Amino acid sequence: MTFNPLEQRGIPLDKQLRSWRELDVEPVDPDHSDPYTKCRIITMNGIEIEALLFSHNFARICPDMEVKHKLAEIRYLEQQQQKVVNWLLPGSSSPLETTISYEQVAVDLTAWVARMEPDPYLTQCYEFGVLEDFDHLYRYANLYEMLQHRKAEKIVDQLTEVIPGRPTRYHHRNPIDNVRKPYDRSAAAPISKLHALTILSAEQQTMNFYLNVGPQYMEPIARQLYQEIAMVEEEHVTHYESLLDPGETWWERLVNHEYNECYLYYSFMEQESDRKVKAIWELHLNMELEHLHAACDLMRQHDGRDPAEVLAPELPNVLTFEPNKAYLRELLDTQIDLTTLGTGFVSEAHERFQKMQDAVMGGEDPASDRVIDEHNSVFGTDYRIETEGPHPRPELRQGATSKA
Amino acid sequence: MTTTQAAETDGVDAAHDVVEFLIGQHMQIRDLFTEVEKSTGKARRDAFERLVRLLAVHETAEEQLIHPLVRTGVHGGGDIVDDRLSEEREAKEMLVKLEDVGPDSNQFPLLLAKLRASVLTHAHNEEAYEFRYLRREVAASELQPLVSMVRAAEAMAPTHPHPGVESATANTVVGPVVSLFDRTKDMVRASMSTNR
Ligand SMILES: [Fe+2]
Ligand SMILES: [Fe+2]
Ligand SMILES: [Fe+2]
Ligand SMILES: [Fe+2]
Ligand SMILES: [Fe+2]
Repeated sequence: MTFNPLEQRGIPLDKQLRSWRELDVEPVDPDHSDPYTKCRIITMNGIEIEALLFSHNFARICPDMEVKHKLAEIRYLEQQQQKVVNWLLPGSSSPLETTISYEQVAVDLTAWVARMEPDPYLTQCYEFGVLEDFDHLYRYANLYEMLQHRKAEKIVDQLTEVIPGRPTRYHHRNPIDNVRKPYDRSAAAPISKLHALTILSAEQQTMNFYLNVGPQYMEPIARQLYQEIAMVEEEHVTHYESLLDPGETWWERLVNHEYNECYLYYSFMEQESDRKVKAIWELHLNMELEHLHAACDLMRQHDGRDPAEVLAPELPNVLTFEPNKAYLRELLDTQIDLTTLGTGFVSEAHERFQKMQDAVMGGEDPASDRVIDEHNSVFGTDYRIETEGPHPRPELRQGATSKA
Repeated sequence: MTTTQAAETDGVDAAHDVVEFLIGQHMQIRDLFTEVEKSTGKARRDAFERLVRLLAVHETAEEQLIHPLVRTGVHGGGDIVDDRLSEEREAKEMLVKLEDVGPDSNQFPLLLAKLRASVLTHAHNEEAYEFRYLRREVAASELQPLVSMVRAAEAMAPTHPHPGVESATANTVVGPVVSLFDRTKDMVRASMSTNR
């Protein structure tokens, strides 16, 4: 299959506006839908929100009225897409259930990207990050059983294991150690740029989601856990956004955003099991194709360059939600002790890391440890989904201390 | 595969206040719907019977113990409770219809899906508009002892939705579901007077 978005035409911009009736989509079933359908919805919501925020930021530095108008016009369509996508989530799911799906996205999306990424440094960055969201999933799953008396397996199925990753208490690093080295825009493969933008968008939305829903809980442990993990997601946004080359022009960035939307809608359309949702991915792909053409026109006019110079000659391999269990277990086995120093990765708790840890902990255990302790004291053990045997690290097996 | 779990404490065993207990039952109800939908034959009839019984116990406990507290303790509680009661009535009517056609009927799946949508919405509305305010407005010391009353009522509630000898005198137009709800209500009331 070759699908080249630059050669395909979609729905003309002036035919894309939707009425209330068209925006009023029927949500997916909270208990019967494919967990990966929810993951695709959550991913595309993050992508659309990034499209919006990017366009707003561009508009703020853009003096040209004509360009501002074009951006506003497309942005209005993007925000309608965001409404349709995110409103596919069922209202009867609790924020914590949606949270567990968010972490499932972070785990299986980042793991897949890490497996496919051609650049070794970028791969290392994804491998480092995925072990942290993997641990968040475990912490939230334990909170879920405490608060709602239900097992996270009902949400993630057995597609993703729920076991400790790099313990969340070790995610609190000095902010300057969260800044990575960017790829080089002239040398990086087009797919590397799309990967970075995708993961950045997902993490940014995760951060925003937690910092908004966290205070809606009444239980102190829930409030504190959301606060702690939202702080880590902020670190993840810093980590992933610093991978993008700051030398990319605004026009180039706009084109990359629209291209990425085409890539992801196409990918999800190809693998979607829910017929109604698949129809939305297809419709949105046909809208994005024209956003992309409009962006390419702007780049030709204002950047004096041909967008084909920066884009892939054809659509890369479809991005896929699928289990990554063996891969994650290998990372658990080999990379759990890593932290960052400057733009690199090290395995010793260096001085700057230690200082930050002491300052943030203030001599107390973080909520991410206490949620496991509390679960232990109510249920006699922690909650896990281990489909592939005991934890690869003996010190993180069930019954060993939660503080690792 | 090993799903590690705490000694079969899914649901409600570890609940320490009545709100937590009822949320746990909402989760059990939700999962029982899935079980009924996915099974056939005798397994489906069994699961459906368990679902009906749990709904009877749960809804009755809410009617008798929770709604009165919300009415008096929460601002606007009267109207909130009225909304919930009309949802419960609607669900009960669907349940009666569902029982009429029976788990083997080909109308059953569609009616079950309707009942499920209505019960899940109802449960969500309780959690969002009743329970969170209940916790805020009513002292924990008042909510805590209700757990044992609900548990006691659950233990005493009739197992079968079919009327036994004791209701032989009941009006014959009253179907088994209605009769089960009525008998459960008597049990809950009895448990309230002995546990208060
Ligand atoms: Fe979009
Ligand atoms: Fe996370
Ligand atoms: Fe993250
Ligand atoms: Fe777009
Ligand atoms: Fe309820």
